[in-house]
Amino acid sequence: MIKENAEVVVVGGGVIGVSLAYGMVKKGAKVILIDKVDNRLTASRGNFGLVWFQGKGKGMPRYVEWCIEAIERWPEFAENLETETGFNLNYEKTGGLEICLGEEEHQERVNFIEEMSQASRSGRYDCEMISRKELQGMLPKIKLGKEVSGASFCSHDGCVNPLNLLKAMNSSFQQKGGSFRPEQSVQKIECSSNDFKIETGTHSFNAEKLVIACGLMTTKLARMVGMKVSVIPERGQILVTERTSRVFNYPTAGIRQNYDGSFMLGSSHEAVGYNIETSYEVLQNIAKRAIRILPSLKNLQLIRSWAALRVLTPDQKPVYLESDQYPGAHAITSHSGVSLASIHSSILVEWILEERIPLGFTAFHPKRFNVQEAI
Amino acid sequence: MAAAITARTHGLSVLVLDEQPSAGGQIFRNIESLEATRNSEFSKLGQEYEFGSSLVRRFKKCGADYFTDRSVWQIDNNLQIHHVSASASKSNSVISHCQAKRLLIAVGAMERPMPLPGWTIPGVMPCTAVDVLYKSSGLIPDGEVVLAGSGPLLLLIGCRLLDVGVHVSAFLDTSMNGALLKALPLLPNALRSHKYLTRGLSLLWKIRKAGIPFYSGIQNIEALGASKLEKVRIGKSGKFFDVTADLLLLHNGVVPNVQITRNLGCEHRWYDVQRYWEPIVDDWGNTSVDHVSIAGDCGRVAGAAISEVSGHLAALETVYQLGVISKVERDNLSQPHRIELARQKHVRPFLDKLFQPSKTWLVPENDKTLACRCEEVKVSEIRETVRMGIKDPDSLKSMTRCGMGYCQARMCGLTVSEIIAEEKKISPEEIGYFRVRSPIIPITLGQLAEID
Amino acid sequence: MFKKQYESHETVSIIFEGKNLDVEIGQTVASALLVGGNMVFRSSVVSGQPRGPYCMMGVCFECLIEIDGIPNQRACMIPVREAMKIKRQQKNKE
Repeated sequence: MIKENAEVVVVGGGVIGVSLAYGMVKKGAKVILIDKVDNRLTASRGNFGLVWFQGKGKGMPRYVEWCIEAIERWPEFAENLETETGFNLNYEKTGGLEICLGEEEHQERVNFIEEMSQASRSGRYDCEMISRKELQGMLPKIKLGKEVSGASFCSHDGCVNPLNLLKAMNSSFQQKGGSFRPEQSVQKIECSSNDFKIETGTHSFNAEKLVIACGLMTTKLARMVGMKVSVIPERGQILVTERTSRVFNYPTAGIRQNYDGSFMLGSSHEAVGYNIETSYEVLQNIAKRAIRILPSLKNLQLIRSWAALRVLTPDQKPVYLESDQYPGAHAITSHSGVSLASIHSSILVEWILEERIPLGFTAFHPKRFNVQEAI
Repeated sequence: MAAAITARTHGLSVLVLDEQPSAGGQIFRNIESLEATRNSEFSKLGQEYEFGSSLVRRFKKCGADYFTDRSVWQIDNNLQIHHVSASASKSNSVISHCQAKRLLIAVGAMERPMPLPGWTIPGVMPCTAVDVLYKSSGLIPDGEVVLAGSGPLLLLIGCRLLDVGVHVSAFLDTSMNGALLKALPLLPNALRSHKYLTRGLSLLWKIRKAGIPFYSGIQNIEALGASKLEKVRIGKSGKFFDVTADLLLLHNGVVPNVQITRNLGCEHRWYDVQRYWEPIVDDWGNTSVDHVSIAGDCGRVAGAAISEVSGHLAALETVYQLGVISKVERDNLSQPHRIELARQKHVRPFLDKLFQPSKTWLVPENDKTLACRCEEVKVSEIRETVRMGIKDPDSLKSMTRCGMGYCQARMCGLTVSEIIAEEKKISPEEIGYFRVRSPIIPITLGQLAEID
Repeated sequence: MFKKQYESHETVSIIFEGKNLDVEIGQTVASALLVGGNMVFRSSVVSGQPRGPYCMMGVCFECLIEIDGIPNQRACMIPVREAMKIKRQQKNKE
């Protein structure tokens, strides 16, 4: 058994784990980051790369504010990473669209934006409806389909290269003295009064603080340190086309044109367990919708498809928890790890290292699910 | 073709989907046209060709539905097959579907990619490319040709080139030192069918007799040229020298084309002697996926004669599985094929061992060499990523883009298997392979959506 | 480079990079261009390096070329047709 010590051990090498580890070494902490052996099912590697808040947080105003704050921090966060590592994140904060087909979708969207604006306590919920005409005006190089009725536009939204983000954070983490230990799957966690001993097959890691941010495995590991965190997998399928000249300069949740010119099209939301197969029907539906929105896409060649599993809490909003039974152990799970990377690496790190609890933080406690169950 | 013939003999309805414009596969490419319009060349191709021609004739008469120019791009779990024209302009060819009860995959083999510095320069090609051009289009190389690699196919093609007057300016033999010695234990078997051996040896003798500069024990080959190939730099025993070349023809063995069997989720094993992936099958070609079998060189590579036999056997199995004949009848009908198989099969182990690909040419030492041609991912990037702790091909793919291009890892899959295996000091079998997803070949979004 | 080993039979006229080319019926776009001495079909989308046909059997996707305005067609799989317009593909401009 190889023994290693640190102030903090972070379990989980995906976007959330790495952003936390990165933020911590920037504060001078000694951190070991562990990543599991089988990397196939990770949400971080099967990611659309949106840096987004439009449409998030319905029913949890605190989360809406959290997302807005994350987005506001993103440009500086990206710049720092690029300067530190030389990786190009291709972060584009152009504003983002949700395009509506037909009148019913349009009305639904209008209602939604209205509700979100009213619920936003800070008044910072900044998203507006635009007409079909205005939308076409924003897209001079490509024609909208006949059924496009309009869109919602949020100037804060954008997109990034999610893989470069992961690589950059990991690289900077290591450059600043962090220890990255891949191919380590946690088998046992021993808790004593002042530290945690995390055992994998070959290593034993000792630390005062423990952060569990390992996606779908969070439930199992959190239980080892007295925390109840439930997450379920949700499959999303994506199509990727050949590269073509750039004509679509705003990301949407279902269509974006990457920096290299290829289009990524999605998505689906399927409860199929731990299954990352692609299916003809779903891919066909994605293609059909994309063509209804942008008819000229029909001539683009599809090169590949993929599927990945999202990690979802019962209300699809973050869970940030410290163990009551074993203080010092934390569990962090969230959808939107990319969008929240800027705030995870700053405010959440302050919570973990310095016990600075953000305002309204109890909103993220999983006891909110008990309340819902009671009702 | 053999499978179709046998299946039809027992009354099954058979549909054959062929990506090429006419029957014959790779070995008998364009054979009908060759026989009809270029008969003098046809007769030079040898006795096997007469045989191939008769097979094609029998196939054409057997009553199978035969669709040429069809590429399969998706196969559903229930064996619904989606296919599209291989050659029509993408935007105006329509998708078709068909439903099968049983599926036989007989897509054949391809050349093992032989990555070396400069291998993406126009003018560098696998040696079978000239075979295709010769048979399908009547083209022969014009200018200086360098042959490099090892294996009987390279020798055969080398001889054909000499026969038609092509100027071969060098033959670079990359076969492993001591290969003949290693293969000797298998020699008695091989000698039962000595004509293979003697033919191979005579090809070698012919090339040497023609006075072509012949270099063995080559350690480095680099292709050089601005917009197309200009010369080949050869390294042997620490010394380097250049040879002018317009065409560099490479060969490092033939490997099964596993794209479709991978896509279907069939189990594969690593065949270590010849360093390739092959689908795991029983004696009848059944894969691990229900109702899916294979025949021919898309499984263990064994050449035309055995491919044909395996086709008959797979068809008999299908006929039995569909309830048309009994197990006993199947076994009886298979007897002559099994005898033929036994007769032909013994030489293969010898050839496989004799022409084992050498490590130098499987895992490029020169880090600048492109492992992935489509996305231009260097060997060095792959090594670095593996050292970061990534050892499964799909994660490697996300991190480096290797395998994301048009060819969907057909050209880099084996190289990646070898690099990861070398870095982690484990067998490729423990590493696994990329997940091969639909579309098996690119189709347009409009075709997927099935709109005009 | 390549040359025809025997006399051409029927030909069609295609247009490559704006110039007329007489090619034999039954040739693929790839073989037709190779016979004319054209080895470079495109510039790579990643770095712009020149690329041309490699495997000639449809598995490598190196011979991608623009035919009648539609890019990324496998030249080795497509037979020539009268008045076909063929153009090399350049790396997309950002």
